[in-house]
Formats: sequence, structure tokens, C-alpha cells
Amino acid sequence: MSKGCSKLDEAGAARDSRGTYPGKLNKIINLFESLPEDERRETLVSYADNAKKQEPRQHENFDLVDVRKDEECTDTVGVYLHVDENGKAHIRMTLGPEVQTLTRSMTAILCKGLEGSTPQEILDLPSDFVRRIVGGELVRIRSQTVYYVLTRIKSICKVWLDRQRMAAVA
Amino acid sequence: MATHPTQYAHPEALVETDWLEKHLKDEGIRIVESNEDVLLYDTGHIPGAVHIDWRADLQDPVIRDYISPEKFARLCSRHGITPDTTCIFYGDKANWWACYALWAFRLFGHDKVKILNGGRDKWKAESRPMTREVPKYPATNYPVPKKRFDEEIRAFFDEALGQSKSGKPLIDVRSPGEYRGEITHMPEYPQEGVLRGGHIPGAKSMPWKTATNDDATFKPADELAKIYLDQCGVKPGTDTVVYCRIGERSSHTWFVLTYLLGLNNVRNYDGSWTEWGNKVGAPIEKSA
Repeated sequence: MSKGCSKLDEAGAARDSRGTYPGKLNKIINLFESLPEDERRETLVSYADNAKKQEPRQHENFDLVDVRKDEECTDTVGVYLHVDENGKAHIRMTLGPEVQTLTRSMTAILCKGLEGSTPQEILDLPSDFVRRIVGGELVRIRSQTVYYVLTRIKSICKVWLDRQRMAAVA
Repeated sequence: MATHPTQYAHPEALVETDWLEKHLKDEGIRIVESNEDVLLYDTGHIPGAVHIDWRADLQDPVIRDYISPEKFARLCSRHGITPDTTCIFYGDKANWWACYALWAFRLFGHDKVKILNGGRDKWKAESRPMTREVPKYPATNYPVPKKRFDEEIRAFFDEALGQSKSGKPLIDVRSPGEYRGEITHMPEYPQEGVLRGGHIPGAKSMPWKTATNDDATFKPADELAKIYLDQCGVKPGTDTVVYCRIGERSSHTWFVLTYLLGLNNVRNYDGSWTEWGNKVGAPIEKSA
């Protein structure tokens, strides 16, 4: 698989997204890219097994909570965002029992990989890394599943940033 | 009032969880898991079961069609399946995808097929053994099927249209909202590219899951007969076509009609609503 994923920006120019990922996420991407297909699947399942560890812990407080059941997902998914005094985002997630394995994998991967990034960094994140983690075959056969968690995390970050901007204007 | 059967027409097409646990190592059978959740098999499966993915393994990646007979032979050979192997299918979602895989096997003439009644959900609910160990079977030399049984169990657009025009039984097994044309996708699933909502004129609505109990097993024969013979107007000796969105949910209903009620002239229109709803010139109805 090519590491040099490039995409077109709004002006149509090629933009290389390589190296623009947060450090923790980059490590996860590199790990998955080094694995043969069967080990990649095993590692995805290991992450899925750990998805429950990404749930909110007792006494944690959050700036925003977004719990909902979307048509894109088979069960309720909750996203909890806390932004600390240094502007770093900390994300927790809850998943209903019917949520599919790949969605659980992406939950654990993204909560770990994006820990400590800023909401703006998360919002600016190109989505091409998802294919590099799950592999082209799983993207091809379940394209509707693999981007869902990233979309939800970006969505809560956007709401947080919009509120910050509105507060600054006011 | 018609008398309804009290037993399935082909009870041998089902195996129960209790039976399977006692026959896991029988020679001559291959347990096949087929799911909607693409990684579910990897999280644990029935010991000895192989995994067949409905899209990656059974569908052609380029042409909207099933794999070639050559690829089917290679798939079976890889899993140690011969034409004499009895394939016992099971999976998530009340065996919805398992029935789809079974139907695809029948397309290639593999007749020794069964469904695990209750599927993966019931097996897990009963705390029966699961493993993450992927079995390896000696490769076989499955002969390339000489024909695909499209004519017998598969309907294409023109045949579905003919069915509609002639007023013969057509069963739409999608959700009521899809049937009425209020939505163009399954509730809880993304829109997958259908331009228009509604149903094929004359089709009766009977969501696929009507045939199952809460524990994912099939309803008894007399209840199934009331649902399909009385409410849908299906008759022995009359052609019946079933459809959904891409032919997966309807393969579950095809299994019920063919194996549990014993109708031998049921075909699955796998082009289904993703073809009909986009097809230029295809008539639709939106009535309740």
C-alpha cells in the first residue's frame, strides 16, 4: 500500500497528507501498515476488545456530550469531549451492544491516537489514514462502517470550536 | 379455511444448536459462518467453522454478479469442501447472511446445505463453545460447476417485471418504511444509492424478520404458512419472486418458502430495489 497518500485540496492541487497526523496516531498507522493481512485483522479485533476501556470514568467531567443513534450505525454511540486548560482534547466513547466490531476497533484506535490533540488538529485531520489502518479490502467491502467514528469525533470537535468562536465574538 | 402444515417440508434443512455441539467433529460436514459484521468471525466462532464473507468471497468485485464457477470451485477447495460435504451455515442477524451464502451455494449447484436454527445469536446465548482458532482443512479439488442455477432460483429484472404484470406473487421483504417509499434504505443503515422509493407494483409487504422468533429461530410451520400462504397469497405451483434491497434479506425468505414450506418455484430477485429503484422506465407504487 502506498504511504504517500495525496489528495486534492479545494483548489484541486495535490496535497500530501503524510506526516500530518498526531504522533500517537502516526504510530498506530505505522504499526498497521507493517502487518500482514491476517495480523492486521487480529490487531483490529484486539483494539475492538479494548473499546470498553474508552468509556467515561467516574468523576470525569466533559465540555460536550453527544449520545445518539444514527442511521449509519446499528446502535447508539456516545462521544464525550473534554478540552483541558492547555487546549488538548480528551475523548471518551460509549457503544451500544449491537455496534459492529470494526466500529469498536476504530473507537479504541481513535481515542488512543487522538489523545492530547487539539480540537482544531482533529478537525483538520485528513481521513485517508483510515484506509491505511484497516486496509483497502475492508474499506471496499464495508465502506459505510469505517469512517463513522472519525466523523462523530470531528463533529463534536466542530461544535466545540464553533462555540468557542461564538464566545470570543460575544 | 385451508389446513396448514404442522411440520416443516424439509426439516432436514435445519440443525439445532444442541445437535451441532455434539457433531462438531463429524466428517463430511463443514460449518460456515457468514455475517454482516465483517470482523465478527475473528472475535470468536464455532470451533471448526470457516468464514465466508458475502461480499468479499461471493460477489464479483467488478461486475454486479456472483463469482464465476471457477472462483466458486477455488473457494470450496480452499475450505476443504467437496460436492459431498454438507455445509451448515450460520451467522449474525438471525441467519440473514447465512441464508444469503446458502442461496449462493445453491446457485452453483451445491445442494447439501443446512442452516443452524437460531444462528450465532442462539449459540452464544446458550454459552456454547467459541474459539478464535482458525481451522485449516486439507485443500480439495472441487470440480468447477458446469452451470449456475440462475433460472431455477434467481430472478432478473425482466422476470420480476413479468411477475408484476401477470399479478403473480411478489413479496417485498424490506421494512414497511422502505415498502411505502418513505425511506430508500433500511432503518439504521446508510442510504446506498437508490434514487426512488416505493415498491414493485403488486408486491406484498412482509418484512423478512416476520419469519423468526425472538431467539432468532424460525417460527413453526403453521405460523409460516399463515404468514406466506394466507397473507401474501403464495401458492404451491405458482411462481413466486422475493426481493429486498440487494437480495440478502430476501434470501432468508427464499429459504423459508423453499425449505420450510416446501415450495419449489421460488426465485430471489437479487437486483432488488437497488436495481429497480434506479432503473429507467421501471414502474413503482408508493401505496401503503
